[in-house]
Amino acid sequence: MTIQELLAQFGDKYLQALITTYQLTFISFFLATILGVIITVMRVSPIRPLQIAADFYVQIFRNIPGAALLILLVYALPYLNIVLPYFTAVLIATTLIPSSFCSEYLMSGMNTIGAGQIEAARSLGMTFMQMIRHVVMPQAIRSSVLPMTNLLVATMLTTALASQVPLNPTDLTGIVSYINTHAVGGITAFLISAVLYCGTAVIIGQIGNQIDRKVRILR
Amino acid sequence: MATNEQTAIIELKHIDKHFGSLHVLKDINLTVHKGEVVVIIGPSGSGKSTLCRTINRLETIDSGEIVIDGDILPQEGKKLARLRSEVGMVFQSFNLFAHKTILDNVTIGPREVLGTPKKKAEEEAMALLKRVGVENQAKKVPAQLSGGQQQRVAIARSLAMHPKVMLFDEPTSALDPEMIGEVLDVMTELAREGMTMVIVTHEMNFARRVADRIIFMDEGRILEENEPEAFFSAPGTQRAKDFLNTLKERDR
Repeated sequence: MTIQELLAQFGDKYLQALITTYQLTFISFFLATILGVIITVMRVSPIRPLQIAADFYVQIFRNIPGAALLILLVYALPYLNIVLPYFTAVLIATTLIPSSFCSEYLMSGMNTIGAGQIEAARSLGMTFMQMIRHVVMPQAIRSSVLPMTNLLVATMLTTALASQVPLNPTDLTGIVSYINTHAVGGITAFLISAVLYCGTAVIIGQIGNQIDRKVRILR
Repeated sequence: MATNEQTAIIELKHIDKHFGSLHVLKDINLTVHKGEVVVIIGPSGSGKSTLCRTINRLETIDSGEIVIDGDILPQEGKKLARLRSEVGMVFQSFNLFAHKTILDNVTIGPREVLGTPKKKAEEEAMALLKRVGVENQAKKVPAQLSGGQQQRVAIARSLAMHPKVMLFDEPTSALDPEMIGEVLDVMTELAREGMTMVIVTHEMNFARRVADRIIFMDEGRILEENEPEAFFSAPGTQRAKDFLNTLKERDR
């Protein structure tokens, strides 16, 4: 089939798939960022058990393959009588993994803050949480815009995991299998999805660059 | 000054500290009274900066006791944070918050730690910035200011907490020579207004002019304590004589 034929027949399906991919991407990224911040605060907290738990969390989710995590969520959790809707299962997988990377980026963002600023904050009498909120996190986040932009793209690509479970409407990768079981889309069906992924990634990259230029901290 | 001489603001009792096998503070005993300006001098590695930093526990101590205005400085926690807020600290490297404007650098302490309302904190901050001569820079960020200006902002930031005592850890050592004067002027003014100050510095003329008492340290010990005139004209130990001679050679 040609691109025109595919778009004529499956155009609305592609649109729905794109929306599913966007939903998974942006919800996951939002949740991953919040989780990443919390995990990072735990990692730098003065409370040893919190540090250990958070380091363990990062090691686990940074190193587990997405497909393996999704299989655990979909096939293993039912043994514990937890049956998640497919969308939720995918969302959890595509949140937990990026959250560990988010924490790694924030940790390296923190390293750009001199020890002197931390000492200054302590000298003013700030508590640990005040220091995190007003001195450490704002600077760590502003120094991590570019890696976080990459993480958003990576999160989008990770949502292709959704093609492994029966989602309705399915995502941009799932739509390719759908088309190829209903018609002979061939490689062209892949091409359309690939263009949509790439186009989105380019736009995300541009926006990320602009945000970075705006919030970058003069040193 | 004589009227205040009895009130001790800082009391250090038998302070000992090691960095690994290095014994950096050896049985330090020092009392600083209200309104007093104490200048600590000594060769590098003598422990003077470490001593200054132990006073608000930026450095922990191995043994001994630190008393700030009658309260024993605790190890950690909220009480330590509260006591720290009463002790101002000015660092060699300024350490302004890089992402905040000059005004926000000065208001953040009072607003977050003391709970001062925004408007009041900003009024006070502007008055302090004016006092140190950088009120025109309030909307800029630290990197846009010269070192001397940044250090004056750092002093204003500490003063905004209404501290009982101000610590200065080599406040002019990172500055270009032409900017040292502007920072020392602010400090001289503070001393004249009766602020209690502990200053670690290599600026001997300043020390002579401003100090009520000179502390000479070497190898982790306080070797001499004296009024500036007496100390500089007739140091009591050979180490102090050697140290002052080295400085004279350098200035020649």
